[in-house]
Amino acid sequence: MTHFAMVIDLNTCVGCNACMAACAMENQSPVWDARKWRTYVHDKEIGLGSDVNRRFFPRLCNHCDNPPCMTVCPTGATQKKANGIVFVDQDLCMGCRACAMACPYHARVAITHADIREGREFYGSDYHRTSASMDKCSFCDHRVEEGRKPACVETCVGSARMFGDLDDPNDPVAQIVASGAARPLMPHIGTRPNVYYIDDIKWRG
Amino acid sequence: MEVNMTYATQDIWTWWIAIYLYFGGLGAATLAVTFLTDMYLKPHRHLVIWGAGAGVVLLALGSMMLFGHLLDKPAVLAVLNPLILFRKPDAWIAWGTQFIIWMMVWGVLYALPYVRETEFPRKVPLIKGLIDRPFVVTIAKLVQRFHRTVGWLAVINGVGVAVYTGLLLQSFPAVALWHNPAVPLLFTVSAFSTAMAFLLLLMYTLINDQADEHIRVLYERIDLVLIAGELVLLFSLYQYLKNGSESAVRSLQLLWNDYGWVIGFIGFGLIVPFLLELKGVTRGWSTRVPILTASVLVLGGGYLLRHYFMYAGVYAYPW
Repeated sequence: MTHFAMVIDLNTCVGCNACMAACAMENQSPVWDARKWRTYVHDKEIGLGSDVNRRFFPRLCNHCDNPPCMTVCPTGATQKKANGIVFVDQDLCMGCRACAMACPYHARVAITHADIREGREFYGSDYHRTSASMDKCSFCDHRVEEGRKPACVETCVGSARMFGDLDDPNDPVAQIVASGAARPLMPHIGTRPNVYYIDDIKWRG
Repeated sequence: MEVNMTYATQDIWTWWIAIYLYFGGLGAATLAVTFLTDMYLKPHRHLVIWGAGAGVVLLALGSMMLFGHLLDKPAVLAVLNPLILFRKPDAWIAWGTQFIIWMMVWGVLYALPYVRETEFPRKVPLIKGLIDRPFVVTIAKLVQRFHRTVGWLAVINGVGVAVYTGLLLQSFPAVALWHNPAVPLLFTVSAFSTAMAFLLLLMYTLINDQADEHIRVLYERIDLVLIAGELVLLFSLYQYLKNGSESAVRSLQLLWNDYGWVIGFIGFGLIVPFLLELKGVTRGWSTRVPILTASVLVLGGGYLLRHYFMYAGVYAYPW
């Protein structure tokens, strides 16, 4: 069985935001609204006085094994594939936003009718959205099904984002996770996330 | 994973969901209490009509709050279909929607024989034309025959709505204030307390009948116990938040540093009505004003509880 996961190396993320751009173009995100990116890179300054470092922190849907967004979804629009990818069926979603309330990773965005109108102008005739709904990262499942990597992984200049199969012991991603070098965010909540982070050591010396 | 945490409240579900939860709990509990009173204490036409009316109107208004904020309104048809419970038995909104619908259906049916006996609906042309139709008359006779079965179906769904309002918030694991077992209890107790207050208000004004004195006394006593229970639940919630996670501690700071919560809700919404009703139960009042005051305060407090709960939920983001 395939079990997709992503590892993000915070040591090699340079904060170029290419992942955000690639994701937005691939998934036709509402780029006109800064709050509605499927993936986002936080840019933080850490330290005091002259000893300050910038820290880039990419975030996205964690494709949890126990996703609270899926549990609370009343229409069944949020679903999980056998390969671990959590996705939204936009035709089923009524947009109650319970998923956004349930998500501990702030990974849900609302696509409104106004966004769809704007999207038709911005993306032209290729625009695929037909109804307003909640949106989230899908690990670019349409690409993954073709054997390709998610757009953000493929475009990452520092190879900070790695994508692979946790159930394949030869997969580098599975090996990094098994080694304990990469760890998930807030595992204590019980969501069993599938996005792992390699801690950055540069700002801690 | 060593991260810098960011703590934030949300602006997704705000005052309008507080109204949804408030009207849902109040309407459903009012319906349940009036039907139980009618079935086991004293057959009471006016109380049932008011209970069913409040249940239907408040639930309709509350549901409109949620419906009005949906991104894709036609897709709501999926949750209106009862079969959704087989497809999404883990989603509380699906359960809540079905509880609301069936509470309304059984509630209207239970009240139907009483409505046919009442003069006022016959003055409304649309209702008059409807309640005299042969199939409505047949339904009314059937309801009278299965009086308690229909009543209990409405009550069970009503209690389901009241409990659901708390379970909905409890299903969000990221927020310590919401994701704990005290919340469904607190919201259920508050729903029934506000229902008692609403009915006391009603029975001291619009359907004021000396023959109902024993019902009023019972409602006052039940409300007193419910307010006491709510205070105990709040105390235990305070203890849980005080020694809980950072999300919990920050919610506690938001709530207990706010005059609206401490003085508005706990002070005037719980303690003052508790004292007013306590004196009413133990020594009695010479006028109805103190109980009316207590009822209005409890009703206001019920909304404040849900309003502050929505705004004080703190998320802990690891970045």
